[in-house]
Amino acid sequence: MSLASIAPASVTPAGTNPAPALTGQGVALAFGGIKVLQGLDVTFRAGEITGLIGPNGAGKTSLFNCLTGAYRPTGGTIHYGTAPLDGLSPAERARKGIVRSFQTVALCPDLTVAENVMMGLARDYRAGWASAFLPLARGRRERAAMMDGAMAALTTLGLERTASAYPGALPPGTQRLVEIARAIAGKPSVLLLDEPAAGLNTAETRELTRALRRLAAPDLVMVVVEHDMDLVMSICDRITVLNFGTIVASGAPDAIRRDPDVQRIYLGTEDD
Amino acid sequence: MSDALASPAAALPVPPGRVLARGATVLLVMGLAALPFAVQGSWIYALGITFANAVAVLSVSVLVRYGGEVSIGHGFFAAVGAYTVAIMEQRLGVSLLVSLPVGVALGVVSGIAFAWPSRNISGIYLAVSTMALALALPELINNAASFTGGYQGLYVAEPLVPGLSMSLQRYYVPLAALVLVALALGQFRRSRQGMAMLLVRTHPAAADAFGTPRVWARVAVMGISCGVAALAGCVLAFASSTVSPSGFTLWTSIFFLVGSVVSVYGLSLPRALVGGAFLTLVPQLLSASGAWIPVMYGVALLAVILAGHFLPRLSARIRRQGGTA
Repeated sequence: MSLASIAPASVTPAGTNPAPALTGQGVALAFGGIKVLQGLDVTFRAGEITGLIGPNGAGKTSLFNCLTGAYRPTGGTIHYGTAPLDGLSPAERARKGIVRSFQTVALCPDLTVAENVMMGLARDYRAGWASAFLPLARGRRERAAMMDGAMAALTTLGLERTASAYPGALPPGTQRLVEIARAIAGKPSVLLLDEPAAGLNTAETRELTRALRRLAAPDLVMVVVEHDMDLVMSICDRITVLNFGTIVASGAPDAIRRDPDVQRIYLGTEDD
Repeated sequence: MSDALASPAAALPVPPGRVLARGATVLLVMGLAALPFAVQGSWIYALGITFANAVAVLSVSVLVRYGGEVSIGHGFFAAVGAYTVAIMEQRLGVSLLVSLPVGVALGVVSGIAFAWPSRNISGIYLAVSTMALALALPELINNAASFTGGYQGLYVAEPLVPGLSMSLQRYYVPLAALVLVALALGQFRRSRQGMAMLLVRTHPAAADAFGTPRVWARVAVMGISCGVAALAGCVLAFASSTVSPSGFTLWTSIFFLVGSVVSVYGLSLPRALVGGAFLTLVPQLLSASGAWIPVMYGVALLAVILAGHFLPRLSARIRRQGGTA
């Protein structure tokens, strides 16, 4: 199956309205007295891959959790295009095409790899309870269509041979790739990847890098939290650097690489 | 056949072990269907009860497998089904054909009614909450004696198939219910809803992030589990020909859970049968032990649980040794 089949569903015709961006204005989050995010203004544009970097505890995953609705920000607003997302549950945001992967692998051990990836498509299907318990044609068609979508996503990441396996039988790096396959299977409009290369070996990271580059599409907002700086620098169009819940710098990879503040707090100076 | 159904991705190969298991299950069902021609009398009756209890075991196993929760109150939902059958026969003169769907629907509704307020509690807290239902049930039944027959209970005698021997009906109806429930649960495992529930059980945040709210999963799994429990109650009433509060005590719920544990929470027909047999046939086989029955039952329970735990490991070890030899 071609990559086009898992590209974002709605492609904006050239010259018409630009694809929506995911924006946060004044996003704040606090746990008790600890300020995790301190009024962040962020814009993640469609058609770009944005890297979100920073030391441990900088607030990267917390920002992801706010964007996906897992956390309710204590201040600020989040929009996708002009539509406010505040107050929407994670499931409701997922139905708008905002999906994510997790820092720790979150695959179900009782489902095969293909079935786990099918869950990335579940929000688009509506076969009822009768189809769940009876061998009705509608339920069979739904499963077949979901399986096709899952296989397309697995093929994109070179994982089609693992489809029938259970996650527990796979190496950790492959499990992480399966999780990314699940995230891309549903033709997301916003794809948030939380440390996708964690646990991957060099070859797998190289394959992931290629896959992420191929995934970039005009209508897709893609944000990657990652500690692997080679990966971030090679695939990202823009990079936002967080530290202590604030934005330290934001810009093109080369500018970020040269930014003295970034070098000091995250990348390390030459003197180190 | 549609294009989607014909796609190669839709037809991943079925593992040989699963094909063998399916074949063995078909043979088992055929054997059970032929059994009344080989054995008679009390065994037919006991096996009918065994099948009904196996359905009850499945209801608890559904909750464990798909919800990750334990119930010690499923006797309540079985009673909903059983009393629906008995009361509808008593008041309206209708057979199981009419009362069973009503009983199952009431089981689903009562399960959802219980699940919604308890949607945010889990583990031991939920188990104790379900126990409250089981504890309250006999008193509820006795206080509605004009409907339920009080301590004496009600008879269920209306045949499902007029003209066919009732003893055979009390065997085949629970067997058919067991087969159909096992098939439906097999289908459910492959469904979007079933897979989503499994994901919610293991990674609720991931399920949420892909559009499956955990509250939906909790309420739905309770509805399904309690519907199956009510169905078990319906066929239990039919198979035993009577319903009374003594059949739905706290111990009933505990034994449903024991049956589920003995079946290793299995959702297949053979596993459920093991659980149902443990609830019904083992006490019957131990009946000659007199005062030692509870002790013998405990030993048997321990033996079955240990066998369920160690036999798969043992067989895997034997397979490995066979492979390396």
